[in-house]
Amino acid sequence: MADLNDGRVDLHRSPGRFIAFSIAAMLLLLALGGRLFHLQILDGEVYAGRATADRTAEVPIPAPRGLIFDRAGRAIAVSVPAWTVKIRPADLPAADRSRVIARVATLTGADRAALRGRLDAFSGSPFDLVPLERGVSREAALLIGEEAEALPGVVVTVEPIRRYLDESGAAGGPLLSHVIGYTGPVSRDELATLEADGYLRDDVIGKAGVEASFEEELRGTYGSQLVERDASGRQLKVIETIREPTPGRNLMLTIDAEIQRKATQALTWGMEVADVSQGVTVVMNPQTGEILAMVSLPAYDNNKFAAGISTEDFNVYLADPDRPLRNHAVTDIYPPGSTYKLVTGIAAMEEGVTTPGRQWPTFGCYQIPGAPDGECLYDWNRQGFGPLDMVDAFAKSSDTFFYQMAVETGIDPLAEWAGELGFGKLSGIRLPSEEEGIVASTDWARQQGRSGVFTGELAQAGIGQNVVAVTPLQLLNAYAALANGGTLMKPMIARGETDATGELVVPYEPEVLHEIGADEGTLQTMRIGAREVITSGHAYNIRDLDLPGALSGKTGTAEFGELTDQGTLPFHSWFVAYLPSTAGATDADLAVVSFNYSAVVPGNVSAEVVKYFLQLHYDLDEDLRLDPNDFSLVTAN
Amino acid sequence: MGVATATLVESFRGRDWHHFDAQLLLYVLLLMGLGVVMGYSAGFNDPSAAGGMSESVKTLIWASIGITLFFVVASVDYHWLRGLAAPIYLVVLGLLTVTMLIGTNLFGAQMSVTVAGLDFQFSEASKVLMIAVLAAYLSGRRERIGRLSTIVVAGVLMALPAFLVFRQPDLGTALVFIGILVGMLFMSGASLGWMGLLAAGIIGAAPIAVSMLQDYQRQRLFCFLEPSADPQGACFQLIQALNAVGSGGWLGRGLTVGGEGQRGYIPVQSTDFIFTVVAEDLGFVGGLVILTLFGLLVWRILLIGWQARDAFGMMIAAGLASMILFQVLVNIGMVMGVMPVTGIPLPFITYGGSSLISLLFGMGILQSIRMRAHKPTL
Repeated sequence: MADLNDGRVDLHRSPGRFIAFSIAAMLLLLALGGRLFHLQILDGEVYAGRATADRTAEVPIPAPRGLIFDRAGRAIAVSVPAWTVKIRPADLPAADRSRVIARVATLTGADRAALRGRLDAFSGSPFDLVPLERGVSREAALLIGEEAEALPGVVVTVEPIRRYLDESGAAGGPLLSHVIGYTGPVSRDELATLEADGYLRDDVIGKAGVEASFEEELRGTYGSQLVERDASGRQLKVIETIREPTPGRNLMLTIDAEIQRKATQALTWGMEVADVSQGVTVVMNPQTGEILAMVSLPAYDNNKFAAGISTEDFNVYLADPDRPLRNHAVTDIYPPGSTYKLVTGIAAMEEGVTTPGRQWPTFGCYQIPGAPDGECLYDWNRQGFGPLDMVDAFAKSSDTFFYQMAVETGIDPLAEWAGELGFGKLSGIRLPSEEEGIVASTDWARQQGRSGVFTGELAQAGIGQNVVAVTPLQLLNAYAALANGGTLMKPMIARGETDATGELVVPYEPEVLHEIGADEGTLQTMRIGAREVITSGHAYNIRDLDLPGALSGKTGTAEFGELTDQGTLPFHSWFVAYLPSTAGATDADLAVVSFNYSAVVPGNVSAEVVKYFLQLHYDLDEDLRLDPNDFSLVTAN
Repeated sequence: MGVATATLVESFRGRDWHHFDAQLLLYVLLLMGLGVVMGYSAGFNDPSAAGGMSESVKTLIWASIGITLFFVVASVDYHWLRGLAAPIYLVVLGLLTVTMLIGTNLFGAQMSVTVAGLDFQFSEASKVLMIAVLAAYLSGRRERIGRLSTIVVAGVLMALPAFLVFRQPDLGTALVFIGILVGMLFMSGASLGWMGLLAAGIIGAAPIAVSMLQDYQRQRLFCFLEPSADPQGACFQLIQALNAVGSGGWLGRGLTVGGEGQRGYIPVQSTDFIFTVVAEDLGFVGGLVILTLFGLLVWRILLIGWQARDAFGMMIAAGLASMILFQVLVNIGMVMGVMPVTGIPLPFITYGGSSLISLLFGMGILQSIRMRAHKPTL
């Protein structure tokens, strides 16, 4: 072929390559055209359909969360509309991010780092709304609205948040925080398991207390609707409602907010005068297992959580050595001390070690069988009491009597009877994070790599020391079983479901865990003993209370920790009591336990707390509270 | 200075302008016009555009700078490039290194240097400059063109800047360098046998190159094989692009109303995914117009090359044709799901001052080649 550029060639030009290149280029462009035809004309409808599907979305309709009432029908957890500032990351240019967050922080008074943290933690689509701050003031919400132009991506919505009330209907988080708990934004970990159940990325979920344990009932079922959305994901209109939401069920607790208030008042007083850092008071109906009051101090303010707690506030709670976020009544375990003699007494009589009438010698110090001479365990009364039978020994709380009972009974029968009374296992109350406690047994010792329990430990187990730990609720429930004639109830925290006004419509039935397999005579002996504790034992003037029944109960202490400056050990004190109509009767409908942690004042502050609570509860005129300096009159043991 | 100006004025008056290729300029202007319109449509109602200069205004500023450059370059004999090939090569390497070290961070890639508020991606200009460097080398090979050494030296010349660009990291531009190299070698008359062997070797080494990629590059790269593999993540863009293109139909949904692109489902639509806006707004007909314009433009460039008075001019034309063809194929192929997702702009249409300026500079050289095709060889 003749060269087109004849005479001007410095490099050979190949027409073949030129033509091949040109044809290849045109064919490739033609192929693109063909692909375009395929996409747009042949398959066009498929893709157009998908594009339309992108514009419409099925979005959930949240169900209103159930309300919570106390047993008298007082609303104690309600949902109130609150302004929530949200942000749609897709609408927030990266360059404006810091400025917008800083401005929102200034307008709402929120912590800038916290807002940034919430935005950073969000893992969903950039078109989803990320809640930045809940419970914003109306003024702040309006200001943000005015500055909308300068705050791209920021949206203010009205959303319900929880508000926790006290017995008077005023905001009163700390009164019931450990029972009710609080709600908060669902975490990434929770979402991983709950997304399948319809939880949303910006959803709230019960985090503690009843809010968490009754989450399923309170949440209800979310509905859904088909909506059309615009470029930025904003909802243009609702096309149709696919499913109406089912509101969450309203709950009535067994708690009476007024009794809760009185128990709190009594405990607060006792802790203050005895300089105690942690305390518990639980009130129960022994016949049904209903919890009438459950106070754990120090408490926290769950209203802070409902609106989204600041990191600072949260860290204060976390750093507090008295752990205000924990419900000490069910999630912490302590040695029960002499209150545990109930278990030892029942076990000894049921195992044939003793009879109600048989007397045993008591000692100033009990020689441990098999141990070298002189290795003995002291009675709290270093003189000993002389010969005692079961009732007297229980009333006087003789340690050496119960050492003998425990050693004669053996560790495994003792552990079995502890289990019979509900120790060492969950009570089953519907509150989160219940602890089961520790009951020494041969199995327990083997789990620790030992062949068995030492005799000294066995003796100490008999008086609830060293190798036994219980929750205050377990102890109360065991005495409630004694009080009601031998039925171990499952402690109840919710009475049932109500209508919107707090009227009970679906009552929950009390549940029996099991009948205690002890002889009626055995239990009657212990009931007489518990009555004797009040009348002739050393509970001092509590017997003078003008009560509508024959108060019965038991004191207890457990020493622990390091010597104080005064040379004494700090100790926990216990007092558990119930109120039958007459001595030994099984008709008590009030049982109460008080527990105080780490007292240094001598005497039993828990007995004083219960006394004061009974005065308040029965509206007694006479105030029999002791001067804190005289607490030692109520012998601790 | 005065002499230079006088030469310039003289050259504008000269008879070279009788050979000005109006078709070339027409296709370029049509494509640029479509680019401005599509960029406007894509950015319509886009809240992030509020505030500073809108994309369209920026594009118009760049376009006027570029067209001025086009005429200036056209008026000068293109052989200055041949004389300066070696310095140009060193400048390219230097500037790419500087860009890699100090470039501002755009989508995680060190790709641009900001001058007077306008970002300039030097890697765009380096493509055109490397075409000149390679053209100078290949045209000087004469009868030795068929040797293996031609391919090896050309490959090494191109590999250095390609590697620097790849490390920015800008995988797309690095691939364009390879496209240019292959196109120019083919047109230069290099040995097809050796090229085939080397190509086989490169394909064999592809898995190693893939393993050197960043995770996000790799994920995006392989989306086109199975878009549903990661519909919310790396392949989200591609799925939305397919939906947008597919919903265009024969005539499209009209400007500024397109659903997919309009609502921001395609994050970088005004840049690499601009063809989705064309396809969605103007439909199959609009897409075909663009493909036809590119076809005409490539044909025109090849023709200018064939008629060039020397091999240097021909090789520059071959390089520019290869570059534009490669970018069109990969960019449009990408949004239609037949090519891997890489950040390669659509010539003249993708918003981006550096791409536009560099292309118009290249078109200016072509015009210069065309205008001087009938002059005797120097």
